[in-house]
Amino acid sequence: MTFLNIALLAGAAAFLIPLLIHLLNKRKVVTVRWGAMHLLHEVIRQRKRKMKIEQLLLLITRISIPIVLALCLARPALTALRSFGLGSSSLIVMLDDSFSMRAPAEKSATPGASVADTARSDLQQITESLPGGSAAQVVLSGGTPRKLLDQPTTALDLVPKKLADVSSMSGPLSANDMFQAATSALKDAPNAAREIVVVSDFQEADWKAIADGAALPALENLSKQEPKPQITFYRVGSDLAENLSIASADLSALVAAETQPIGVRVRIKNHGKRPWQDIPVHLEADGARLRTARVSLAPEGEAVLSFTHAFDKVGDHSLSVRLEGDSFSDDNAFHSVVQVRNQLNVLLIDGKPGALPLEGATDFLELALTPHTSAANSLKDLIHTKKVEPRKLRSDDFKQTEVIILANVARLQGRAFSDLDKFVKDGGGLLIFAGPECDIDWYNRELYKKGEGLLPAAIKGQARAEIADSPARILTQRLTHPSVLYFNDARGGRLQDAEFRFWLEFAPPSNENTQRILNLDRNVPLLIEKKHGQGRVIACATTANAEWTNLPLQPFFVPLMQRLTTYLATEGSAPAWQLVGSSLHIPLEKAELGAEFTLRDPTGQSQTLKSQQEGGKVFVQSPPITQPGIFQLQRIGADKPTLLAFNTDNTESDLKPLPTEDIKKIADRHGIAYADSLQSYQSLDRSRRFGSELWQPLLIALIALLFFEVLLQQRIAKG
Amino acid sequence: MATLSDILQAEDITSLQHLQLFARTVVEGFTTGHHASPHKGFSVEFRQHRPYVQGDEIRRLDWKVFGRSDRFYIREYDEETNLRATLVLDASGSMNYRGQKGVHKFDYARKLAASLAYLLMSQQDAVGLVTFDSKLRENIPCRTKITHLHLLLETMIKTEPGKDTSLAPVIESLAQRLTRRGLVILISDFFDDPAAILKACGILRKKGHEIIALQLWDRDELEFSFGNWARFENLENDDDFLLLDPATIRQRYLEAQKHFSEQLKEGFRKHQIDYLSLPTDESHSMALRNYLALRMR
Repeated sequence: MTFLNIALLAGAAAFLIPLLIHLLNKRKVVTVRWGAMHLLHEVIRQRKRKMKIEQLLLLITRISIPIVLALCLARPALTALRSFGLGSSSLIVMLDDSFSMRAPAEKSATPGASVADTARSDLQQITESLPGGSAAQVVLSGGTPRKLLDQPTTALDLVPKKLADVSSMSGPLSANDMFQAATSALKDAPNAAREIVVVSDFQEADWKAIADGAALPALENLSKQEPKPQITFYRVGSDLAENLSIASADLSALVAAETQPIGVRVRIKNHGKRPWQDIPVHLEADGARLRTARVSLAPEGEAVLSFTHAFDKVGDHSLSVRLEGDSFSDDNAFHSVVQVRNQLNVLLIDGKPGALPLEGATDFLELALTPHTSAANSLKDLIHTKKVEPRKLRSDDFKQTEVIILANVARLQGRAFSDLDKFVKDGGGLLIFAGPECDIDWYNRELYKKGEGLLPAAIKGQARAEIADSPARILTQRLTHPSVLYFNDARGGRLQDAEFRFWLEFAPPSNENTQRILNLDRNVPLLIEKKHGQGRVIACATTANAEWTNLPLQPFFVPLMQRLTTYLATEGSAPAWQLVGSSLHIPLEKAELGAEFTLRDPTGQSQTLKSQQEGGKVFVQSPPITQPGIFQLQRIGADKPTLLAFNTDNTESDLKPLPTEDIKKIADRHGIAYADSLQSYQSLDRSRRFGSELWQPLLIALIALLFFEVLLQQRIAKG
Repeated sequence: MATLSDILQAEDITSLQHLQLFARTVVEGFTTGHHASPHKGFSVEFRQHRPYVQGDEIRRLDWKVFGRSDRFYIREYDEETNLRATLVLDASGSMNYRGQKGVHKFDYARKLAASLAYLLMSQQDAVGLVTFDSKLRENIPCRTKITHLHLLLETMIKTEPGKDTSLAPVIESLAQRLTRRGLVILISDFFDDPAAILKACGILRKKGHEIIALQLWDRDELEFSFGNWARFENLENDDDFLLLDPATIRQRYLEAQKHFSEQLKEGFRKHQIDYLSLPTDESHSMALRNYLALRMR
């Protein structure tokens, strides 16, 4: 048994008051020389023994009242009963395992402990103090929320053991996704009493919008659950405010040729209030440091650095940029994999070859894809093009080709069409440009094929901007497709400068395999992508020459076409880099089913993976990757490994926490309790566990004693 | 020599001079007047002569004065009945109670008896005094002379409360001793067996005596308002005591006291005995006034 207000237990000493009064009364007896003794004798003749018992009972009752009152105020909690399951509950811990939780913890007893370490330690104590019969589940809430255990467990010692493996390298926490996961986890909760504890550093980047009033539909849904779960925000904070990070990094090309320089542009951000001078920034290729630049950063300022490097060997190469200087080093590096190839073969199918230069449908494309060859300079182009007319297309043309581009092709006949379909399904890339020659009916019927064909969307018809009207332009928006990420920075070129007079109007895509890459400001797609088999198809609503648009005349046409082509050519292989927290997922040939691979992490530790079949396709898949850096995947017995790069989510680098007032504001708005230390949480927890406290029965006992005292006194007085 | 002022306050004496005691039943007497007497023509005391007026009885003419002065004069006498009243004063131990308000019960009883004696003697009635505790202690026969009052008062002053009460044998003894009918005024707390008291009073009544029972109560005995634990020691027996919390038995005590009073009151009513309960914190002259009002009905 424990007492929540043990100081008030001293009040039990008040039992001495009635006892002393009783004893003093007996001691200070007044002597009365009395005449009417015959009346007194008559009164007590029959009741002498009974009176003694009643007097004793009255004294015991009066002594008991202050004792029970003091016990009631001291709020005893029967911990012994808790171990037998009284007050048992289901605890769902929504643990923020985002990257920012790796920052050094404030108020930590262990030197060098991170926020995540503190959270783990606190959670261990929280689960240990749960009443017997309670169940616990942990949902890791950084990035995509996922359960730590398949089912809530009553073996509470299992939770800390499992938590020890959590690396806290996930992406930013999405509060809405987190509460959605909490609702889902509640369904498995075995106890009627349910508690949800959100353990997080409450990073401003994750919670600011909610503090400003953004809706949390998942939380509202969660609050409607019956019985309503008790929700608590438990903040574990860091006192680290200064942090430098690589906020973003762009590669000039996804694939490079041997000796072709590849550029990497990194944006370095200072998230703190102090200025930094001459921070060394290193460029590393294949693990070797190549060169170092220095950068100075103003408070909350940023700087952009560019490096170039040419790899002289064909194959996968790692390229990293790393900065030094601050104590929180996990976000100080950017890693990427660069594919270096001999050449990349592109087949240009020209639907209307021109007699004059740049008149043909693919002339601008040929220039853009092979600029060095066209300029006849000494530099080597990665892409090698071959131009062919549709009617001269043969099956051999598809061999040794990574990407095929159709430009202003009316239709494909017979075998050519089936060969193209097979080419894409087997992992090839197809880029389709529109044009006046295109037979729209054939495109819809054969190429779209009600969503089953190559074309990503049905064509509603040809649209145009009237002469009086301004031409259509590319819609300015944040670009998310990997092939055009480069153009989010204005230094990559101004996409809005391109004008469009004519275009094909694609019907809104409904297939989940379809994705818009660029849009026109007329609310129609300009570039639209579809996954088809193992390959991909990108359709462009306008021409590849200047017939419908001045797009080919824009400076960004060259990098855009290069990127689209290299994207299509490399999409079958691993991406240049992925976020930590995601899994490795590489498609394989069917013949490779059952093959074993070794995955070696940046620290040199290896694990074995086995390829497996899923939905008729063969993959090699890894558990979620928990650390940034360059990984090597090598099929056992193969010569060369495949390189894979993993980076942390840079939005987690701004460690600034949401002010406590704002956290409380959110908590108050949604009826959530708030605790910022283990002590305050435990106090809150105790105050909520009325079930195992005894003040209620004691209060009832007190009231009963008071009534009994009054009744007994009346009974004694009446005789 | 004891005087009335030794017992009574000046205001009490003044108050008593205005009281009139009227007997309700016929007692023996010698004079006519307010008391209807069966002994007609038995003169008591000469008061004065007055001239004859038409209508006066001829037999009341003083012929000796006519012989000397040749005028008709009528002789006038005091016309009240000569009442024989015996005051029976309880001097038992229980009358020695001094209440929380400081009133001494026997002192109150003594004043009451003195008041009655003075009242009765001022009406030319014969007054006697009996004091008792477990037995009869003093017995002063009835006299009318004013000097007799001094004897009564002296006896009252000398009397102090004794020990045990035994009222019934005293009353029975009185019945034997009082040969002529008269008024017996019992001043007591009657803390004795009610049945025995009533039986003894019945004997006295059968002998033709009128009885007035004045029961004295201290306020403590009526309300039993003691706060703390108390050791109640019997005033009539040193070996008898009770240690108790008065609050716990108060209610039951009050019921017992009420029952005791009702028992006496009912018994007295049956024997046509006037009964008055007198709390000692009330003025005794006021109490007497109330009683006389009751007697005049």
